[in-house]
Amino acid sequence: MAEGTGRGEKLSIWFFVGGLTLLYGLVLLPYGAWVWFAHREAPTVLNQLHPTFWWGLLMTLFGGFYTVRFRPRAGDVNKT
Amino acid sequence: MNLDAALIVSTTLMNRQLTHLAPIDMLILILYFIVVIFIGFYVKGSTNTSEEFFLAGREMTAWVAGLSFVSANLGSLELMGWAGAAYQYGMLAMHWYWIGAIPAMLFLGVVMMPFYYISKTHSVPGYLELRFGEGSRGLSAISFGFMTILMSGVNMYSMALVMKVVLGWNISFSIWVGAVTVAVYVMLGGLRSAIINEVLQFVLIWAGAALIPILGLVEAGGWGNLKAQIAQNVGSSDYTHLWTTLGHFRDNPMGVHWTGIVFGLGFVISFGYWTTDFLVVQRVLSANNLRAAKMAPIIGAAFKMAVPFIVIVPGLLALAVLKNPDGSVLHLVGENAVNAQHPYSYNEVLPLMLIRYCGPGLLGLGITALVAGFMSGMAGNVSAFSTVWTYDIYGAFINKKASDKHYVSMGRWSTVVGMLISIGTAYLVANAASIMDYVQALFSFFIAPLFGTVVLGMLWKGATRAGGFWGLLAGTVSSIGMWLYTTFGGAAALSRIALSVDARPMAENLYRALWSWIVCVVVTVVVSYFTEVTPVAKLSGLVYGATTLPDDGAASLWQKPIFWAIVVIVIFFILNIVFF
Repeated sequence: MAEGTGRGEKLSIWFFVGGLTLLYGLVLLPYGAWVWFAHREAPTVLNQLHPTFWWGLLMTLFGGFYTVRFRPRAGDVNKT
Repeated sequence: MNLDAALIVSTTLMNRQLTHLAPIDMLILILYFIVVIFIGFYVKGSTNTSEEFFLAGREMTAWVAGLSFVSANLGSLELMGWAGAAYQYGMLAMHWYWIGAIPAMLFLGVVMMPFYYISKTHSVPGYLELRFGEGSRGLSAISFGFMTILMSGVNMYSMALVMKVVLGWNISFSIWVGAVTVAVYVMLGGLRSAIINEVLQFVLIWAGAALIPILGLVEAGGWGNLKAQIAQNVGSSDYTHLWTTLGHFRDNPMGVHWTGIVFGLGFVISFGYWTTDFLVVQRVLSANNLRAAKMAPIIGAAFKMAVPFIVIVPGLLALAVLKNPDGSVLHLVGENAVNAQHPYSYNEVLPLMLIRYCGPGLLGLGITALVAGFMSGMAGNVSAFSTVWTYDIYGAFINKKASDKHYVSMGRWSTVVGMLISIGTAYLVANAASIMDYVQALFSFFIAPLFGTVVLGMLWKGATRAGGFWGLLAGTVSSIGMWLYTTFGGAAALSRIALSVDARPMAENLYRALWSWIVCVVVTVVVSYFTEVTPVAKLSGLVYGATTLPDDGAASLWQKPIFWAIVVIVIFFILNIVFF
């Protein structure tokens, strides 16, 4: 069900949550991979742990799950 | 390679800004603005009636209402302020998240929400009108509307100031971009738009801020090592205990006593804010059924308990890990004491920790989280203002018989006008910073007495209309009186209000709330005994003992709000014992 966005709408609140975090993950993940493998990490504390890459991966997985789980489907229109 | 503190210091002294955004950071920030504006346009079609515009159609699930409920309070001003307080006072700041929130949120869900919900009121002043009449409603609505719109302006200015300090952005640019964006999405989508953005903001704040405590604890070598380093740096182990230092005012850096924390903060201030401040209660009123309305604050309480991880822990970490170039401890100071030797204030703890661990990309995420927090704070204030203005001032006293469509239109226009007043307030605060302190003090005048009035109204059939009105007025006037007394009366006045010569300013707020609540309750009770009692038949749906509470539909133990409230309170006690 398209939760929280109103009668007759197809997109759930959780789809927006998933969509935005997925977008951020897809921005951070390749950038994090590039700075890691091109040795371009910013001079931050603990940058040897490659936080941009791992955080980007986590956001991609989280956002991807929510986007797929709450994607608009036929018959999903909110009727409450 | 570590980010050298010297780099930060020299950069700041030269440019007066902490950092700058890379193109990838700008991309992340712009994506956020596109999505929030899109949400406003997307839900506009579902906000045609007043119930849809002001109460999101009362169709939110417990999870959405609960996250929105806790998120409405999770503004950036609060995040940065309490991270600074954790640096300044240690773990005592945690009390504002635990004892200062959890019991009250659970009380709202289990005890008070049924009355707010089944009375079908649109607002807290609306409940006061049903229970105590137009006088109490008018007093509450006007004070709330006035304060809310001023707070929105304070939030707006704070965002602009943070953007200037951290990124060097122009103050007017930040004010107008933030205000126009918020005005557009709230005007289009009303509370629904605000709630969706609050849920998004909650996720963004965790996404943007959770790396700080995670990487900070890795750097510090775990919680045990962090405590040892703090004890070494500040010369005391008091900073990492919740209760052991509260036996006397002079034994802790905050200058408070456990009675002030338990009764002033944990009871009066916390219950006043979480159960009667319409800004947060409005989110729960949007729930789609009684059980969801009861569960929402309980879900909110569970998430609230976790918030210190991203607010208090960074402040504590800063005590241990921030160093000068020579390896000595970097000391942050109060805003008034910032100079070349001490270039950073307590309030800059969170941005300092953010740039310590987050490079391009992650920095943009953190800044977006701060911007989202500020904007949802403004949206929360302005959506609550437009509801109270339209229902409890315009609809109650100016135009009682307009059509539903007219009230929706008034809601949209009052959003725009409210935002313009907020912008004016922001510029006022920009030119006289002390106004910010006064606005925040003004807000505190009404919360404690309002809780006295509402809780007596819900739990005691004998409270009369006159009792409610005069109690609310007396409590508010006494709070203002005590504030004036302590503001202009110096240390002697503070020692009388807080009952100790060792009390510090932080204690004043706690005890003033307690006394003003007691004044409100005593006056309400005394006046009620001398005035006409409302017939019990008229109190149905409004007061315990005069109301048959409807079944909330819970079929199993797992669906019962009281079960989850007990789970949350047990965890709350365990956490307090662990960090005692």
